Amino acid sequence: MNLHQHPELLDRLAAAHALGTLRGGARRRFEALAREEPVVRAAALVWQGRVGAMNELQTPQAPAEAVWTRIDNLVQADQDSRAMARARSAPPTHTPAQSPVGGWWRNLALWRGATAAGALATVLAVVTAVGLRDQLGAEIGALQAQLATVPTVEYVAVLNDDSASPSMLVTFDPNNRKLTLQRVGNFQEGADKSLQLWALPPTGAPRSLGVLSQERLLKLAAAVGDVREVPLLAISLEPKGGVPSASGPTGPVLFKGVLIQKML
Amino acid sequence: MAWPRAWQGAAANTPPERPHNARMANTHDGDLMALIERVAARDQVALKVLYDLTSGKLYGLALRVVRSHEAAEDALQDTFLQIWRTAPDYRATLSPPMAWLGLIVRSRSLDLLRRRKVEREHLTDEIDDAMSDTLEGDSANPMDTSLASQQACALHQCLSQLENKQREVVSLAYLRDLSHGELAQQLQLPLGTVKTWIRRGLDQLRACMARFA
Repeated sequence: MNLHQHPELLDRLAAAHALGTLRGGARRRFEALAREEPVVRAAALVWQGRVGAMNELQTPQAPAEAVWTRIDNLVQADQDSRAMARARSAPPTHTPAQSPVGGWWRNLALWRGATAAGALATVLAVVTAVGLRDQLGAEIGALQAQLATVPTVEYVAVLNDDSASPSMLVTFDPNNRKLTLQRVGNFQEGADKSLQLWALPPTGAPRSLGVLSQERLLKLAAAVGDVREVPLLAISLEPKGGVPSASGPTGPVLFKGVLIQKML
Repeated sequence: MAWPRAWQGAAANTPPERPHNARMANTHDGDLMALIERVAARDQVALKVLYDLTSGKLYGLALRVVRSHEAAEDALQDTFLQIWRTAPDYRATLSPPMAWLGLIVRSRSLDLLRRRKVEREHLTDEIDDAMSDTLEGDSANPMDTSLASQQACALHQCLSQLENKQREVVSLAYLRDLSHGELAQQLQLPLGTVKTWIRRGLDQLRACMARFA
């Protein structure tokens, strides 16, 4: 049917499309027409604007104060990682060891970040101490020694469960392009389930970083680009073997936490 | 910082002045646009001011979509992180500021709903209960035009002319991205009733909005 000759019908379809109640084949046909016909596309866009204004008419409610704190922390972490990236990409006029007066040295954001990294190192030490008690003492001890001596761990995240208890320690070593995951809580998924690790980029859909085996300590391969600029990591409970990255998490998110670039 | 002190926290406590006419709405839009531009330049203070001005409104929207305080807070957090990252893209959208912010909130809220679908049955339906009162009764129109763009003020006028039940099903269809069938299920109404209310509501809305075109 030629919608040009039926402006009333075009208006009705465009309104239903914007509202979301035009579904299935009717929706697909309308969208195909809109791609081809500017008049149809214009009607669709006009109605998207009109219906979208519904978002602006909802009654205000006061969010909990903690929400701003969380946003502020993540924004600060983002600023810090950018400051660090800038400091890294700046041309190396001299080595940091001999130049405590350099510009980056005075960068407040960087030192704030360093303080945060210090706090995290403490968490890390505590978490690792907890880990020492179990059967994997030797390997974790080795990991701890490695963490303490070799600065290869560039990103750390402590993933918490709903009650803010640490459940998973994640570190990323860009040299070996390995994510190390250490379970620190008591959570054990069922035999028919798998835990799956996701990067939650600032925009776009979550990206799968891999599916966890049942060991308490395991490594996953990951490219630097998978981890850089990712503010949040999350672990969801999925069917055994996990789900494709493109589908996004299908099960509940059990643990999540901020990924912070370590600066020391 | 040269931001007026009065802005700090103004949104959360007392509702900002309602735009009675287009010019006032535009002034507010101008303030919000200036803030978004400063956020695009990575100004954390501007982000805080924007949050103070708009978080109440945006949280109200998130709550309407996801129906749980916890999820709505997550949606609000995701929204402001997205604003922080994508503020440089705002100008090219040609949208009024609250329209842009509202779209982000709705989309982050719907994302959360999809991600939490498995958990959804555990969420309480307290807010839906409040809503079913609106459906049955004749209570005052609960919509709010603070910070609203001209487009939203027009929509507000037209929605106000609908019967409460029609306005509610039309609003929920959009806000929660529900099909006729899903609406019927959520509101425990016969499918035919939902279809009729939506069709009549949309017809009236179209006639009314045509006058603003």
